[in-house]
Amino acid sequence: MSQRQLAMVMDLNKCIGCQTCTVACKTQWTNRNGREYMYWNNVETYPGSGYPKKWMALGGGFDAAGDLQPGVVPSIQSDYGVPWDYNFEGLAKGEQLKPDVTPTWGPNWDEDEGAGNFPNDNYFFYIPRICNHCSNPGCLSACPRDAIFKRDQDGVVLVDLDRCQGYRYCIAGCPYKKIYFNPKISKSEKCILCFPRIEKGLPPACAQQCVGRIRFVGFLDDEEGQVYKLVTKYKVALPLRSDYGTVPNVYYVPPTEAPPKFDAHGKIIEGSTRVPMEELEKLFGKEVHEAAKTLKDEMKKRKETGESELMDLLIAYKHDDMFRLDSGYYADYAKSKSLEPAKIVDERYLHGKFTKGMKFFAPQGGHA
Amino acid sequence: MKKIAIIALAWSVLGLSSVMAESMVVSKVSDDLSKVNLNSKVWQGVKEYYFIAYPQTAIEVIDADVMKLNAENKAKKIMVKALSDGKNIAFLLKWKDASNSVQKGYSSTAFGDGFAVQLPVNLDSLPYIGMGSAGRPVIVHLQKATGITYEPNGNGDVYHQVNSGNQNAYGKDLKAYTEDVAKLGNGNYQRSFISEGFRSLTQIRDGSEDAKMQMHYAKGVWTGIIVRKLKSANLDLTKGVFPVAFAFWDGDKKNRDGAKVLSQWLEVREKGSAAKLAYLDEMTQGDAKHGEQVMLENCASCHQYKEVKNAPSFMAPNLSNIGGYSNASYLVESIINPSAVVVPGYNTQAHPSYPWYTIDDKGVRTSMMPPFDGLDQKSLEDVVAFLKTLKAEVSQ
Repeated sequence: MSQRQLAMVMDLNKCIGCQTCTVACKTQWTNRNGREYMYWNNVETYPGSGYPKKWMALGGGFDAAGDLQPGVVPSIQSDYGVPWDYNFEGLAKGEQLKPDVTPTWGPNWDEDEGAGNFPNDNYFFYIPRICNHCSNPGCLSACPRDAIFKRDQDGVVLVDLDRCQGYRYCIAGCPYKKIYFNPKISKSEKCILCFPRIEKGLPPACAQQCVGRIRFVGFLDDEEGQVYKLVTKYKVALPLRSDYGTVPNVYYVPPTEAPPKFDAHGKIIEGSTRVPMEELEKLFGKEVHEAAKTLKDEMKKRKETGESELMDLLIAYKHDDMFRLDSGYYADYAKSKSLEPAKIVDERYLHGKFTKGMKFFAPQGGHA
Repeated sequence: MKKIAIIALAWSVLGLSSVMAESMVVSKVSDDLSKVNLNSKVWQGVKEYYFIAYPQTAIEVIDADVMKLNAENKAKKIMVKALSDGKNIAFLLKWKDASNSVQKGYSSTAFGDGFAVQLPVNLDSLPYIGMGSAGRPVIVHLQKATGITYEPNGNGDVYHQVNSGNQNAYGKDLKAYTEDVAKLGNGNYQRSFISEGFRSLTQIRDGSEDAKMQMHYAKGVWTGIIVRKLKSANLDLTKGVFPVAFAFWDGDKKNRDGAKVLSQWLEVREKGSAAKLAYLDEMTQGDAKHGEQVMLENCASCHQYKEVKNAPSFMAPNLSNIGGYSNASYLVESIINPSAVVVPGYNTQAHPSYPWYTIDDKGVRTSMMPPFDGLDQKSLEDVVAFLKTLKAEVSQ
């Protein structure tokens, strides 16, 4: 258990599935060096296969007795999908545009398909997923090399690439399949909750870029923080598949505000909702009913009185309030443990320092 | 020590009824072994010894595919030759494998065949066979069949981590860039580790325990060699006798880590040396039938073995192959004083209801198994005799 725990809340009522978070993460971390197929952040359609394909049926996590359950390691080809490119250069020679591999599967292969019958009761919603930075991580328990650790300062779960031997049991052990095998370096890699940004008081790239402003980031013990209020005070933010027993630290405001269904004559069925509560219960547990009630009550209250702290929170007025990160805390922690504090500029990427001859970043004329 | 049985049969017609060697004598040569490789003439005519490597079943790995593919695993018969030039020790190993599995390509599910050689840092006590134990470290040399792999973060070289598609270069420049990247790859997946139990395995990167390892597959048989110095920063194998153990992985069955077959500790003896390692002696007496009864009464409530599954899962190590990869002295020691060898790490997170040991403020680990030091000598010998019968059949 870490000293403190960072958490993220995602308001699914507001997610529009635009994948801006996915792109923010991809360009920041996973567009290179063996990580090409990985989506540390993905947004999947529910109901749907998800990413990797049918991840909820791939095992891992803990049973009621606390025993780690066996799982499988998904295949890049059939379960994640091989990233493909196009023959753009060939177009000039008159070739027809075609992918360089035959795509058979990929993330969002079944995007927006959902379930039900159009137009009466069809439905779907989006679930953005990152590593849950669990308090009882399945990946950590599965690793026979102690290569996975949970940071004391904020509970971020990281892979020590020096210790990792590429066994991939972590992937089997993670019920969310949010840790990936990098075939180029033969080691596992995962979402790092943008800890180099966090340490400087900046939110993770996915949260910063979210156009729907659905993501809140903060410490679970910070009673002034919006994360605390959504999770602990109002209890409207719930963990995904908490039945896996890993105690996840990403919370979701369930998508309870769906439009009503139509009857056989195309008329609105008053009081109905398209997203079945049974499905939400599968994902978020029995607590989802209470959360839905709180959300409805507070909406009503806001309508009638103009006042509701919860509604104000969910409107997400200011990034400053949504992201309660404290670079001072990290600096103090580093000082108390004699660690090197995070620098204002990450020197690894300082222009020219380790990138001699890097044309991409070089000024006009380039350098040696 | 059993008399060494040297089997003169050709590899292809190996008889399995023959007695296996738990000891081998090193052939001394004058050639510089640091230059030896798989096909060197120096291996010709060197005495062949045979041992059996048994499936590791003390702990179950949590990959469902591995569990399925390895449930019926049999033991493997391995041929070994040992050479020394006074400064270096060299082993040549041959083992059967139906397929040549190489971990390569853009795949998350490919696993390579491989082998490892384990040597104890201290010769005064026998480390746990599965990568040593607290206070009894081992050096492990590993060779795996892989394609090209790269260092994580390219040793700080950011430039060469950018994909060629994202590189702002075309034509000749892009080709040159791709070639530079390729040069950073390494097709020889070879590692030296120091370890004091499953979780503590740590790679030695300073070159102090380097070894030369090679492996080659032909006609259903892998041949592997390892050559290393007899004396190094952590090891001193110049006392005339030392223990060695070997492990083998079958990539086709998604073998890696604990999913493997391994030998017990074998004795390597310099020709003419009178030095002795008492802990490698096998017990010759013992009534296995009576031992089985004693086991049922004393051990079966915690340990599962073969068909005996009275104990809850995860309560204690599974003993189904314990007789294959454990030396008698280790079995005796672990029965009388289970805390003598405690393997750190395992089970604490994955199965919290059944911790296998406790740990005090000073970091001293005490096994949850009570010491059976009250067991009379005959019962002890009988139990060990029975434990030695617990092992998988040898694959034909």
